[in-house]
Amino acid sequence: MIMFKRAVSAVSMALALQLLGGCAVAPWERGTLAKPQMALEPNPLQTELRGHAYGAREAATGSSSGSGGGCGCY
Amino acid sequence: MPANTASGYMKGAGAAEVNRPAATRISPALQALTAAALLLPGLTEPARAADDEASIQYGHYEESPRDVYSRVPTSEFGFDLKKIPNNFAPITVDSIHVQGKTLLRDRWRFTANYSEDTWSGATPVATAPAGFGGNKAYGGGGSVKHTDPSLGDTITGATPYIQSLTPVFDQNFNPVLDKGLDADFNQAYGFGSQPLTHTMTMASPETRKQGDFKLGYEWDEAAVDVGGGLSLENDYESRFVNWGGRLDFNSKQTTLNFSQSYTNSTVSALLDHDSLPYLGAIGYELNGKDDNGYIERFSDRLSGGNAILHGKREDIATNLSVTQVLSKSALAEAGVGYTHSSGFMENPYKATYAFFVAPDSFDATTGVYSNLTGSGIATTAFTEQRPNKRNQVNLNLRYVQHIAPLDAAMNLKYNYFFDDWGINAHTFEGKWVQPLPWGLTVTPTIRYYSQSAADFYHPYLVLKTAGSGDANNVAAYRALIQQYPNFSSDHRLSAYGALSGGVIVNKQFARGLNLEMGFEYYSHQGGLRLGGGGEGGYADFSAYSANAALKVDLDTLGRGLAESGGGHHHHHHHQHGPAQPAGLMFGHMLNMADDWMIGYQYMYGKQAGNLLQGAQPVADSAIISNNAVHNPNCANEQCFAAPSDMTMHMHMFMVMYAPTDWLNLMLMPTFMDMSMNMRQLDGTTTPSNTTLVGAATTHAGHEHQTGGIGDTNISALVKLYDDKLHHLHLGLGVSAPTGDVDIHLRPSHTYEIGLIHYGMQLGSGTWDFTPTLTYTGHLDDWGWGAQIQGVKRLQDHNESGYRLGDMLQATAWGSYRFLDWLGGTVRGIYTTQDSLHGAYDRPHVPIGTMDTPANHGGKYWDIGMGLNVTIPGGSLAGNSFGVEWIQPLRDDVNGIQLEREGALSAQWNYMF
Repeated sequence: MIMFKRAVSAVSMALALQLLGGCAVAPWERGTLAKPQMALEPNPLQTELRGHAYGAREAATGSSSGSGGGCGCY
Repeated sequence: MPANTASGYMKGAGAAEVNRPAATRISPALQALTAAALLLPGLTEPARAADDEASIQYGHYEESPRDVYSRVPTSEFGFDLKKIPNNFAPITVDSIHVQGKTLLRDRWRFTANYSEDTWSGATPVATAPAGFGGNKAYGGGGSVKHTDPSLGDTITGATPYIQSLTPVFDQNFNPVLDKGLDADFNQAYGFGSQPLTHTMTMASPETRKQGDFKLGYEWDEAAVDVGGGLSLENDYESRFVNWGGRLDFNSKQTTLNFSQSYTNSTVSALLDHDSLPYLGAIGYELNGKDDNGYIERFSDRLSGGNAILHGKREDIATNLSVTQVLSKSALAEAGVGYTHSSGFMENPYKATYAFFVAPDSFDATTGVYSNLTGSGIATTAFTEQRPNKRNQVNLNLRYVQHIAPLDAAMNLKYNYFFDDWGINAHTFEGKWVQPLPWGLTVTPTIRYYSQSAADFYHPYLVLKTAGSGDANNVAAYRALIQQYPNFSSDHRLSAYGALSGGVIVNKQFARGLNLEMGFEYYSHQGGLRLGGGGEGGYADFSAYSANAALKVDLDTLGRGLAESGGGHHHHHHHQHGPAQPAGLMFGHMLNMADDWMIGYQYMYGKQAGNLLQGAQPVADSAIISNNAVHNPNCANEQCFAAPSDMTMHMHMFMVMYAPTDWLNLMLMPTFMDMSMNMRQLDGTTTPSNTTLVGAATTHAGHEHQTGGIGDTNISALVKLYDDKLHHLHLGLGVSAPTGDVDIHLRPSHTYEIGLIHYGMQLGSGTWDFTPTLTYTGHLDDWGWGAQIQGVKRLQDHNESGYRLGDMLQATAWGSYRFLDWLGGTVRGIYTTQDSLHGAYDRPHVPIGTMDTPANHGGKYWDIGMGLNVTIPGGSLAGNSFGVEWIQPLRDDVNGIQLEREGALSAQWNYMF
């Protein structure tokens, strides 16, 4: 009985996680996702530089990065 | 750095490679397929995340000049509102960012960053109705402060003016324009809506430097990282630490990212000397020594009374995000961030005008409150005051969709921000990442940002109570604080919208070299605010930014090298040959056609100590010559100041290519920053700052800084002789004048004090011929060499009217390799440089020895001692690092100059 309950909970967990994944995409189907243009941040160097310029002129932008930093305010 | 920049996932492939002996290496194609099949891709980094990567980025940001309006004399007694020429250069920022990433010991990732920006230009200080005259139009010569149409003066530019404005209000406390006397000598007023204007001030160049690192460890489905850094500028010092982690689950379709950072900052802002007597800073004196802000007043020999605003600040930021694969071609991210800040959060250079309108200053006949009636209107510009705490929340959404027919990716981002200062902001960003043939990727970008104003934002303040002529009157301050506990006129806290668009072009070269260039145009307008109600058009400005970055994937280069066969690998080892002094330039040649070398050299130089005349120290009394009015030691003017120390940091980037085995082509751009402190010469008295020279001398009491792009060298190296023992090559090059030679100081006490001292300009301003002849030899572990280097100016003078002296340098060295990877060098250097020719032909105020063209150049004898490290094998093979200290032995300077303390050079080269 306990084993059955455990099995049910394990399967429901797995199902829940699968649902969380939307339609599951198998590893060999992830070729497109792995393309460089599909990166969440395709130009990290640019984004950081522009982010610094926005942060010096906008009230909201300086706070969204989690790494801290200097002022360079002008 | 973005919080969710975790590590790559291809580390498995990299690790396997290092352990395999060279003879059994698998071909890259098979490697890739195996890796793809065996490992599940993570989501936070693209497929080709390099284990070892170096990148350099240069950026330039420039704003448009702002429109400034003021109350200007239009007739003998009459005034009107006019736009005045704004000769202040707009804000420009030059920055460089250098990054190195490496995989240490299989699962440890290390990233180090160095960035530097120098900014200067016009910035708003305060805001007021334009008709009140917050910017005085001034004209005539250097000694004339205000316009006088009866003398035929023309208006030549704006100067900030924060004392004795001409405030007038109607019975509803709306601003009114005082038009002076009309043709019948009656007082005239202009009613109706009045435009506001910023009081603009000029900032001399200032440099910020930051270094930070990150260390991470990866498991198969998780990673943690920790990092920290330091950011330094004259008035702001910031230390930060951060930590975070990443968890993949659901077979890597879902990733959870967490990061936190703690920042501790100290502010020591030297307040604008010119406005100090008129600035209401009393609030910071009533607090005592409080971390939320307090003032320290002191006196300096050169510049007189000064004040520094001190404060401390802490920020703790937490970010949590979830990334989810939605389908084979789409993924999304949702995140939330919370930042808590406390301490000194003001901008120390911003002020807010407060107009104390005494009730008895109302004249019923004309219908206005003005200074002509009763107690009048007192005007004080107070340093701004913000709350001591701020809580900010960010909500982020990101969506990336693959567009199959074009193989492009559409990348959309939305951010909603709100805080307890009353600011809400929306950001919409869109990118279209479009790969094209020939390794190109073009990404147009668009961004829209809109924010509301902070609760305590006011362009200016009106109080219905009498004030005081004394800017630091306590009673007036208390009346202000009672009604406005917090206030700021900083346009950053106002309501507005900003639209920007640009494009990023990325070109992937073979061999792991990647070039990225970006451009963006940005427009800030009150009218663009979502839903309207933004700040008026007076605060609008636009800006453009342009940048270029070079990224080198050291793995691909190393791998490519190894695959050409064992022979090449051995050859590569010999190519480095004996160690060369790290401070030497043009000394290395590539021996094989089609080879590349990239390098970075850093040079630090300092002058401090005694003033020398020729080779001997000289006393101040000998220099000032009884305060002679025409003193040849000081450009034929009176001497007041001399340099006390001068520091230079130069960053040089080198790209070298060998089209044949006897010719190398080299490109070397530079970026530099310099700072100089001056002191009063004993026995002199600084003139009053109501004179031009006095204003310039007063300004010399503060550290001067310049920074930005330096000159660029383009050279060809030609091999003349080469055998196992000896090598001789000739270098023929030119230096292109890409460094500024017209940097000028900000106006001091309403005087234009013109160009900064010769030694602080960033380039030569002229095209120069730079020949070199280099001889090297080696036998076993010993090496030796000699070089003659020359610089010949090819133009008579640069755009500022002078040219630097020609230079000749001869050096000879010996080196010894102690270990396979470590060597040392010792050398002697003799340099002779001619003095400056010509002189500034634009406004410039000589106040000391450094302003004399003849006080430049000389003969120098130095000894250099260095260490070199070459990495012979492993994944970082092909890299070499060197460090050298150059110790001055003897200086024989032209005229009077500060002696040298020494120079440090550090060099990194990578051949591939």
